Amino acid sequence: MPHRTMSRRRLLGASLGGAGAALLGLSGCGSASGSISAGTDHLTIWYWNGSLSDKLLTTSARGVPGASGLKVKGASIAGDYRGKLRTVMAARAYVPDLACLNSPIGDYFPDENEFVDLKDLGADAVEDDYLAWKWKSCISPAGRMIGFPLDAGPTALYYRRDLFEQAGLPTEPEEVAEATSTWEKYLQVGKTLKAKAPNHPYLVSQIAYVFRMALYQSPKQFVDADNRFIGDQEHVKRAWDLAVETYRQGLSARTLDGTPDFNSALSGGRIGTINNAVWYIGGLKDTAPRTSGQWRLTTMPDGPANYGGSYVGITRYCRDPEGAFAFLKWMLGPANQLKSYQEMSLFPTTPAVYSQPAMREPDPFFGGQIPVDVFGPAAKKAPVIFFSAYENTANTPVYQELTNVETLGKNPDKAWRDAMNAAERALAQRGVS
Amino acid sequence: MATLAQAPASDSTEEPVRTEAPRGRWRRHLPPYVAISPYYILFALFGAFPVFFSFYLSFHDWDGIGSMKFVGLRQYYWLLHDSVFWHSIVNTFEIWFMSTVPMLFLALVLAFLLHSQVRYSAAWRVAYFIPNVTSMVAMTIVFGSVFAQAGLANSLLKAVGVDGIGWLTSSLGIKSAISLMVIWRWVGYNALIFLAGLQAIPNELFEAARVDGASSRQVLFRVVVPQLRPVILFAIITSTIGGLQIFTESQVLFYSDDPGTAGGPGQEGMTIVLYLWQKSFNDLQFGYGAAMGWILFALIAVFAVINWRLVSGGDRDDRRGIPLLRKGGRNGR
Repeated sequence: MPHRTMSRRRLLGASLGGAGAALLGLSGCGSASGSISAGTDHLTIWYWNGSLSDKLLTTSARGVPGASGLKVKGASIAGDYRGKLRTVMAARAYVPDLACLNSPIGDYFPDENEFVDLKDLGADAVEDDYLAWKWKSCISPAGRMIGFPLDAGPTALYYRRDLFEQAGLPTEPEEVAEATSTWEKYLQVGKTLKAKAPNHPYLVSQIAYVFRMALYQSPKQFVDADNRFIGDQEHVKRAWDLAVETYRQGLSARTLDGTPDFNSALSGGRIGTINNAVWYIGGLKDTAPRTSGQWRLTTMPDGPANYGGSYVGITRYCRDPEGAFAFLKWMLGPANQLKSYQEMSLFPTTPAVYSQPAMREPDPFFGGQIPVDVFGPAAKKAPVIFFSAYENTANTPVYQELTNVETLGKNPDKAWRDAMNAAERALAQRGVS
Repeated sequence: MATLAQAPASDSTEEPVRTEAPRGRWRRHLPPYVAISPYYILFALFGAFPVFFSFYLSFHDWDGIGSMKFVGLRQYYWLLHDSVFWHSIVNTFEIWFMSTVPMLFLALVLAFLLHSQVRYSAAWRVAYFIPNVTSMVAMTIVFGSVFAQAGLANSLLKAVGVDGIGWLTSSLGIKSAISLMVIWRWVGYNALIFLAGLQAIPNELFEAARVDGASSRQVLFRVVVPQLRPVILFAIITSTIGGLQIFTESQVLFYSDDPGTAGGPGQEGMTIVLYLWQKSFNDLQFGYGAAMGWILFALIAVFAVINWRLVSGGDRDDRRGIPLLRKGGRNGR
């Protein structure tokens, strides 16, 4: 009997001790170096599905060409990517050596020391290969380069050629660009479109897009690099007034993105134009496959801008920053950006490849038009913009009030005042004024 | 007794001056404590620690990665002056009221029907419970189509000659849509709770009622409801705790990954927990979110106290509970 009791106790003690040791081990092994790839023969890069070329990652997992003995393995992170990345950084454990960062990269500026300054690794040597505004957007107010350019999001005016034709409007991209060269002329076209085309299509799906694009055409946004609120100034008010004018003239379908109402309006020909980035092509094809061949692309009213686009950063836990940077130069160099465009539709940030034949494929969805003819020049002409870490805090009330104006019929002047008050209050709470 | 002989060696470092007797008692009681310890270890790690940490966090400013900055009661100060937060409290209570009252009534009727002799009663019970175990996100996407401007709900209204409603574009519409989703999800669950309570009512009461010639309606309101009072109170308090934490319906319905549309037009669908989530995980103001969590805790605690008084009062005086309940409901709104 005593023997049996003993062994049971010992079993219990052993299993508990084992569990405790496992827990200690869990926390211990991470804190030793912080990197998820510690003790392996490769570096790890985190990405979300679709942000990097799977083919190139397969190659780099076997060995990065031109860098002897260097292996970089991709780990596709599903779900809340930003939340998971910030979690491992907060825990200082299992942090990837490299990580894709979605825009706005300004979110990471307050914690810029989590990332290696790419200038220390000689990034300046390849600066000329990349779009100037994209390169500048990688640099924090303190002057550190925390991200490397991945893809760009040049914008264009997507329009329905068939509806324009039925309304007696110009139909070819150059003519439409001329007819919509300013936002004011664009709204005039919208009036004609709504009056004359069948089913009276709307010009835009929601006025937030007019506001967003008009604002992205301005180098200034809501908060400047010195953490001062500049969202009550003319550049924001002008974008707001254009959006409100679109609503006043009844040119908005007043549907939120991705809702069933938006999808049915888009595929049913109730929306005549879209102002969006190059990456929206995939979404448009998925949402409205029946409208294939009817869409065309041209320059956005008042000129191009950039909306979205990603970055790759090297974290401070990386044991081989030089190797990681060699991987970046290979993975995101002009030749492989071209391959990524062909495989994943990631729009290159290396303008030299825009003239390559592989990028000049006609797209039947746009009636055989070559998309890069519009997006290429747009990417080169997009303005340099500074996005502060507090941009979302400041602009959220404005987007909310725009929705209130068009769906609840709120008085636009009151909505503007409410938006400004809410933005200033939210910023004051975060120490920005 | 090999165990006792070994004991001083392992314990001596901690408390060397202790006498033999208590240590022996402690050792005798150790195995059961060790046996139940996994629960407490897990609870300490994933339950107690986050609770205390969030309290600590609510006095700080923290973006989740960088260093924490102590700000005292500033987060609470901002919170009490935040009109969106007050709006979210009003919204939450409105949605809670609009969903809980009809839901509990429906659940009671359903339980009563299930309790009577119906064919395939097990199948019915499963059918009513299925919404409760359906993925909420999938369900909300389906409801997004139902409540669209040209969706099923408006088509039905038109079929009976009523004008369509802006389900997702007006204050009342948004709250009704969210309430309907809550009702759909929880009515079966509460019906099963009521059914369990019904089955505990002695059959003699039903037989006596029937002998006296009571109708079904009279049996429901004169026999079932008074007998079920403790069960109803339990259902009310669980619905309150759940109702004050409404989140997913509103989050998915309005595509809240885009902060500009979170909570829908006019933020009429902005609930307390949705605002907490938006401020913490979209805006990276974790201290602010933690402070919100503690105010939500206080609100729920107030309701728990009201419930406790209702239950303890009910034992002495059957009529005392109802006016108190009404008062609680008014205070809540």
